Amino acid sequence: MSSIKITPFKYISLCFLAIFLGACAGPGYGPIVEDRSVQARTSQRLPVATNNVHGTAANNSVTSTKPLKPAAVEKPQVYVQPKAQVTVTAQSSSNEVIAVVPKGKDVIVAKKQQEALPTSDQAVVEQLLAKADSLKAQDKMTEAIIQLQRAQRIAPREPKVYARLSALQLSLGEAARAEQLALKGLTLVPNQKRYQHFFWKLIAASRSYLGDSQGEAKAIIQADKYK
Amino acid sequence: MSNKPATSQSKPNTPSKWFSWVGLFKLATVLSVIGVVTLIYLDAQIRHRFEGHRWSLPAKVYARPLELFNGQQLAAGQLDYELTQLGYRFVKRVTDKGQVQKTNRGMIIYSRGFRFTDGDEQSHLVEVTLQKNKVTSMRQISGAAMASLRLEPQLVGGIYPSHNEDRELIQLNDLPNGFIETLLMVEDRDYYSHYGVSPWGIARAMWANIKAAAVVQGGSTLTQQLVKNFYLTDQQTLWRKLIEAPMALLLNVHYSKEEVLEVYLNEVFLGQVGKRAIHGFGLASRFYFGQPLSEIKLHQVALLVGLVKGPSYYNPHRHPQRATKRRNLVLSVLAQQGVISELQKAQYQALPLDLSKAKQVSRYPAYMDVVRRQLQQHYPASALSNQGLRIFTSLDPWVQHQADIAMIEQIKKLNQSYGKIPTLEGAIVVSHRDSGELLALVGDHDGGYAGHNWALDTSRQVGSLLKPVIHLAALESGQYHLATLIDDGPIALPQPDGSIWQPQNYDRKSHGKVPMYEALTKSYNQANVRLGLQVGLGKVMQQLNQMGVEQTIPAYPSMLLGAVEISPMQVNQVYQTIAGNGFYSPLSIVQQVTKANGQLLSNFPFLVRQAASNDAVYLLQHEMRMVANEGTAKGVYRYLPKQQKVAAKTGTTNDQRDSWFAGFSGQYVATVWLGREDSKPTPLTGASGALNVWGQLMQHLAYTPYEDIKPETVGYFYVNRATGAAIPTRCPDGVAVPMINTSAPSINTNCGY
Repeated sequence: MSSIKITPFKYISLCFLAIFLGACAGPGYGPIVEDRSVQARTSQRLPVATNNVHGTAANNSVTSTKPLKPAAVEKPQVYVQPKAQVTVTAQSSSNEVIAVVPKGKDVIVAKKQQEALPTSDQAVVEQLLAKADSLKAQDKMTEAIIQLQRAQRIAPREPKVYARLSALQLSLGEAARAEQLALKGLTLVPNQKRYQHFFWKLIAASRSYLGDSQGEAKAIIQADKYK
Repeated sequence: MSNKPATSQSKPNTPSKWFSWVGLFKLATVLSVIGVVTLIYLDAQIRHRFEGHRWSLPAKVYARPLELFNGQQLAAGQLDYELTQLGYRFVKRVTDKGQVQKTNRGMIIYSRGFRFTDGDEQSHLVEVTLQKNKVTSMRQISGAAMASLRLEPQLVGGIYPSHNEDRELIQLNDLPNGFIETLLMVEDRDYYSHYGVSPWGIARAMWANIKAAAVVQGGSTLTQQLVKNFYLTDQQTLWRKLIEAPMALLLNVHYSKEEVLEVYLNEVFLGQVGKRAIHGFGLASRFYFGQPLSEIKLHQVALLVGLVKGPSYYNPHRHPQRATKRRNLVLSVLAQQGVISELQKAQYQALPLDLSKAKQVSRYPAYMDVVRRQLQQHYPASALSNQGLRIFTSLDPWVQHQADIAMIEQIKKLNQSYGKIPTLEGAIVVSHRDSGELLALVGDHDGGYAGHNWALDTSRQVGSLLKPVIHLAALESGQYHLATLIDDGPIALPQPDGSIWQPQNYDRKSHGKVPMYEALTKSYNQANVRLGLQVGLGKVMQQLNQMGVEQTIPAYPSMLLGAVEISPMQVNQVYQTIAGNGFYSPLSIVQQVTKANGQLLSNFPFLVRQAASNDAVYLLQHEMRMVANEGTAKGVYRYLPKQQKVAAKTGTTNDQRDSWFAGFSGQYVATVWLGREDSKPTPLTGASGALNVWGQLMQHLAYTPYEDIKPETVGYFYVNRATGAAIPTRCPDGVAVPMINTSAPSINTNCGY
């Protein structure tokens, strides 16, 4: 004990040491009870998903929990040939655009064809479809898809759900998916001309987007058959 | 002892130094500096840990929500079961959220509301009218119209961090009436007036303990308890004892009583289930009562507060009497202190513990396993175990429940009928016919699943389950229709090793020329091998790949009889494609992932890919319906009403090592596998084993009509059963089979003879 000489200098340095220790363990001022919006710390930050077309919701916030990889897709991405822009001008008021296709041909169906589609026998399905439409109009595609999937769970064989899912995927530039959804939709509507017309229109537009002009021509013939 | 003189010898030389005032002063200075440094250090520690602390919140995994709407068909008992699992209380008269009242016509449900990925579902008070388990009308008690009621999704599990702490965060305004009073009355009466430690509390506790000659009260304040749990380890060390009080004082200086209380409420340890530690009152309420904390009543509050003293000693599941005694003591304290009246005390004490009736321990382990596997492909482990992500899955709790029961009960019956079958294992996979959502998964013989998931990790030969794929490849070629005659005569094929492969029929007989559909309904090996060889092994394999079996399969003729090792999950994927009109959709497990605050991170969209043409698949579906109606799978009608259409196929492998059954109804696709762990022969065929599990399961699921959507290219034709020739409708022995118009044979006007 006696060997330790406490000099004024040591007092001061000890005090500094104490302050330093305090600072080291210092507070990272944050909420006391988490407000359930758990923010990732830097060390937990995840790689940012670069490809956002697999159904990953747009995430513009500062927080950083993002999927490592895009969501489940079992098949390879189809490389989409960029298309010359087709500008849709002066639509006749008797027509309705059912899918605005980026850099592709928009899908236009005569309004009377649309209106003639039978309403689903489930009121809730019609509600969900309407909600999906309004979300789509606000450009909230993922949210619209979620509504449609909910409708599909309630009415798994409602062709309108397939028509809308297909149109949505086409609007997202996912033409291969759109084509397949429309093809499946077709299996639900034998002898229902209006739907068949509708689905073949979607298939033609998808094939056009994919650069499959032969396939497109075939689909157009089919669509015209059911006009 | 012998050392003592030696040490004392040196001492006399320095007595003046030891007792000098200067030395004492120096020592005091050093000690006080150490003290101050320690205090500053502790203070920093407190602030750092308290403010920087974030609990690791496990990801929460939810089942699909039950959505009630007009016209919806439920299974018998399903609604009661699902509401019970959600912690709803069945009462005489509904007054609060989370309650259900049974009426003559159905039920009145007071739903809780939930924040879904697509927005908030409000709480609703709704009368649901039911007829034969079908929702026939729904109206809000307020009179407003109601198209659908989406109940909260069941929380089915979590993905825990390595220390296995689980909690559900709550805030002070989530507390039910009487909670704070009860907690403070029992644990810390002077909480709002003391400085973190309470000498008065210690004195009172000591006095109470002396009076009772036992430890009945602890003198620790809530603040001290928090310091103990939060900052210090469980070890009773001197250092811990020394710093506990100063830390509590410091905590009290820095933070408001409310802040400390809120952290305490979320930190306190209240139980242990296996490896999972239950922390905080929020999760404890869910765990013990199946209800959110805000819903519980005073007798339940009293139990939770009583548990603080010893969660394992008073464990209400294991020691209900002790727990009741403790709860009643807490209620007595409340009455003594005037918080409740004597009458109220008596009323509450008379109530049962009201523990949740829902299954608590490791629900749905096999399903959770696939959820984890899928998530690990998309998120790092740390994000899953500590950020409170919300995972919405396709799991259907009712289907899963029935699948678990079917497996356990049927295995028991099989063991009774055949004598104990050693190490008999099993797996069930159930998916939704149109969406491909994976609804249920049973990973072993009793739904317990310890380590090996037989639905995913076991690839066994599939036997006759492969035959529908041969038929589909044949129908796709355009060269066959359902009545095309196939030779069932003996067949011998030279193998690459020079040996001869001679497959035989199960009954060891040949049946001459049989129509193609009969080759499937009777599962004739010789005819199907011949058909497969005619179509080409390559074509059959290609078809199998299209339907979701990705691995390469050796191209031996024996593959035609199912010498192909695939898992029950993959088998279900193949049958899903058949059920889905030839469209492959990957079995979907996770649908959406959101952050804790509800912000959407991922949506896994519904996708399809055409794997076979619609009309060919339609014919195959018809054949498989015939298998169930009159073929090897007809035993399912011991379980199902005859009018319920199903399409199915049995499978049995060499020496009955594997018993398979796969098929679909209007709404569900299901695959069952049974077999021994060591792959040794069993007494079971597909029809005597797996069929029973499948049948019992389907029997308890909601009945949705099997909708036949006939493609325009398909027509029905009469054929002669014996010769397979197309015949006019007036002929005897005719059977109607669908055919693709372009490949149908011309009509034989002699009735096919």
